[in-house]
Amino acid sequence: MIAVELRKLARRPRTWATLLMLDLLPTTVAVLLAVTHLGPRPGQGPAFLSAVLSNGTLFSVAALAIVLPLFLPVAVAVIAGDSIAGEAQAGTLRYLLTRPVARSRLLVAKLVSVLVFVLVAVVLVAGTGFVVGKLLLGGQPLTASTAVTSVSGSTLTPVQVALRTLLAIGYVALSMIGVAAMALLLSTFTDSPLSATLGALAFLIGSSLLLTLDAARGLAPYLPTRYWLSFIDLFRDPILWRNVERGVLLQLVYVAVLLGAAWANFSSKDITS
Amino acid sequence: MIRTAGLTKRFGEVLAVDSIDLDVRPGDVYGFLGANGSGKTTSVRMILGLVLPTSGTVELLGQPMPRGGHRVLPRVGTLVEGAAAYGHLSARANLNLHDASGGPAGRSTRRRRIDDVLEQVGLAGTGRRPVKAFSLGMRQRLGLAAALMSQPELLVLDEPTNGLDPQGIREIRELLLRLNDNGATIFLSSHLLTEVEQMCTRVGVLDRGRLVVQDELANLQALTGRSVVHTSEPAAALAVLDGRVEKRDGERLVVRADDPAALNALLVGRGVPVHELVAERRTLEQVVLERSEPGPVG
Amino acid sequence: MTRRWRWLIVAAGSAALVALPLAVRLLPVGHSAITAAGLLARVQASAGVQYSGYAESSGGLALPVTNRFNSINDLFGDRTQLRVWWRAADDWRVDAVNLAGETDLRRDLSGVWSWNYESNTAARTQQDTVPIVRLPRADDLVPATLARRLLSHADPVRATRLPDARIAGHDTAGLRLRTGDARSTIDHIDVWALPSSGLPVRVKIYGRGDTKPVLATTLLDLSTSAPKASETAFTPAAGAKVRYGQDEDIVAAVDQFGRSHPPAQLAGLSRRPLEVGSVGVYGQGVTLLVAVPLPPRLARTVAGQLSGTPGSSAVGGGVSVGVGPLNLFLSGEGIDDARWLLAGTVTAATLTAAAAQLPPADGFR
Repeated sequence: MIAVELRKLARRPRTWATLLMLDLLPTTVAVLLAVTHLGPRPGQGPAFLSAVLSNGTLFSVAALAIVLPLFLPVAVAVIAGDSIAGEAQAGTLRYLLTRPVARSRLLVAKLVSVLVFVLVAVVLVAGTGFVVGKLLLGGQPLTASTAVTSVSGSTLTPVQVALRTLLAIGYVALSMIGVAAMALLLSTFTDSPLSATLGALAFLIGSSLLLTLDAARGLAPYLPTRYWLSFIDLFRDPILWRNVERGVLLQLVYVAVLLGAAWANFSSKDITS
Repeated sequence: MIRTAGLTKRFGEVLAVDSIDLDVRPGDVYGFLGANGSGKTTSVRMILGLVLPTSGTVELLGQPMPRGGHRVLPRVGTLVEGAAAYGHLSARANLNLHDASGGPAGRSTRRRRIDDVLEQVGLAGTGRRPVKAFSLGMRQRLGLAAALMSQPELLVLDEPTNGLDPQGIREIRELLLRLNDNGATIFLSSHLLTEVEQMCTRVGVLDRGRLVVQDELANLQALTGRSVVHTSEPAAALAVLDGRVEKRDGERLVVRADDPAALNALLVGRGVPVHELVAERRTLEQVVLERSEPGPVG
Repeated sequence: MTRRWRWLIVAAGSAALVALPLAVRLLPVGHSAITAAGLLARVQASAGVQYSGYAESSGGLALPVTNRFNSINDLFGDRTQLRVWWRAADDWRVDAVNLAGETDLRRDLSGVWSWNYESNTAARTQQDTVPIVRLPRADDLVPATLARRLLSHADPVRATRLPDARIAGHDTAGLRLRTGDARSTIDHIDVWALPSSGLPVRVKIYGRGDTKPVLATTLLDLSTSAPKASETAFTPAAGAKVRYGQDEDIVAAVDQFGRSHPPAQLAGLSRRPLEVGSVGVYGQGVTLLVAVPLPPRLARTVAGQLSGTPGSSAVGGGVSVGVGPLNLFLSGEGIDDARWLLAGTVTAATLTAAAAQLPPADGFR
């Protein structure tokens, strides 16, 4: 079933358009940076953007930082929100279920296919970032391009950089799993993909808003976006695992709860679409 | 093949299906007749496990639904409330996905089966055209093709001829009857009396959620004990059939007669010219109107 | 399985997941028999205890000054996340981490490296040029460092024990020190420390009448194993900008180049011994008073900012502002428009009294 879902995803023109959009933004930023050489002021703008001016190698990570807060979650919410509600709206859900496909298996297959999409998207963004960074921003002395400075000021070997970039890719992809599960849950409640997508985005915006609120301090560790930006911790020396660990754990808890709720709702839902 | 007992569905305050006991036997072409909104589609969805009954049970191919669905649904072809397909894909790609979602079984024969069903429903020439460019009738044929993909023992078809032109309706009817000849049981829900009358061997009639009729079509269309006689001399006939004529309409007489042959012999013997003599049968429409409650049907 | 059962299972599972971290917090805490005086002595002598960890501090002080003192506002008015590696009083590393980078301090035998990721700059300050009076730095917020400073001259008589608590996975013993000084705006300090080594892991400072601490700093992760030398060492990376020499520390600059001479005593508080510059630091522990002569231009800026602060009042030619337990007083104009800025955790009355005892601000010609 997972293979079937992946084939559906791969044959949708929208999937590719979304990936293209995701790649376009960091590329635009790289071009602008290369032309103007104006980095963001300290404390403002996405992480690593000032660093890439002196070393293009890190642009793959900077590209992740650019798409992470908004573009990536929107893309995930669109794809995941469409998963069940889209089939319901098109009427194909009833044929899937009488084929038959077990409802719980359909849910898992949908979630997995969304996650594969996320992984492809993140790898693609990082890859594009790497190439674009090398081409546009890599025109620096050779010594600087072989050694990357960690956030803590030490020097990272190319192997370390590659390894940590891989970890960051994995972490960013995993960070999206909560959004995906939320959109999937909402997608089982409604027959309109748009409502599911918007609901998931509202959930994210709410979370981001609460994060900035001092009164909601106590809630912060439970908010899905709390540890999103912690992938920068992978580039400290030594790596600061604390928030990364919590981020991973939190996402897994969200998936367990939301997928559980999706199962509870969808398994015994009347399919009237 | 399908057996329900006390099947009931309530949506909030509305009683959509009220304790129906369906019985579809192997080899039947079962016509499930009812006006729009009478609960046909809800019943079909409950039979297929899409909607859960409020009370009552469904048995499909001997298995309780929805629990046994994974065992029996692969042997059932379905068309529920209109066909549906992924608009950006071709007919062939849609059938491919549809079949693959049932699991890896039958993979080796998939291509051949797709060719077969596309040929059967008359969509063989559509090639790579995306479904969104299809007409309503073509989509309906594609839905039917999907239902036929797994060579099912039972076809559950909800309004299968929706959107088809008369020529298409005849093609589909012939296709279904051919399938039935080859051993498939067909459960066909429709709001069209004539469609059911032309195709079905058994009929169930749903009226506002209640099953008011369920019988062999032949039994329903029983002789009324009357014959219709056409004669160019109705006055002579009236004289001969003193008191047995129930209704006169120009040259057409409705005569109470248990034996049409004896009636014919009687008339001809008395020199009354008989142009036409038919033993009267009840129509399905009469049955439905008789058994349904009067009043508007929502 | 009915719909209701499914939802019940999901609800129960979610509740269990949410309750798990709360349940861990409720685990019983080991009890320590150490006395208040004993714990205080251990805390005071804990500078050599090696550890590493992750601390978070939060301050409620929003100082009515901007631009040059922004970093202080960040330290005391916001949340700061710190990574600490401590090998010795002259061999440690404190990283203030944030979402866009980090600002690090690495202490070695002869001085301090400071590293700022976003500006890609490493700056070296030799220890012998670090002024006695300087602006607060991130390492001042490390619980152990802060506790030792606050408790350095504490009287054991004023210390009482607090209930033990589990902090960063360790059983700690609590200690409360009341200031007991009418001039001070600080009511008490709560410190929790490892009873065995005396390493402080949490500090909370309460102003008079406050229920919430004005400053709280806690280790959230703690490892008591010794950090490796390589973890505190620093060598600027190849691409980094490197600066040698002093920080841009306005207070240090004033201290060195000003001509004012604060007296040995102010408002009954003694000036720190060994201090000879223009900046006077008075008192000890948490009852502190600082007198800084401001050059004319800076004095005008600060005067503008202070008068614009809600709650400021003009007192005898100067401006008085209270920010939580911190009081500020800018004196009237002295020679060439230079002014005294007095700040401290003392009452406003104490500050005005102290201002009256100062000579006119002078210098910077």
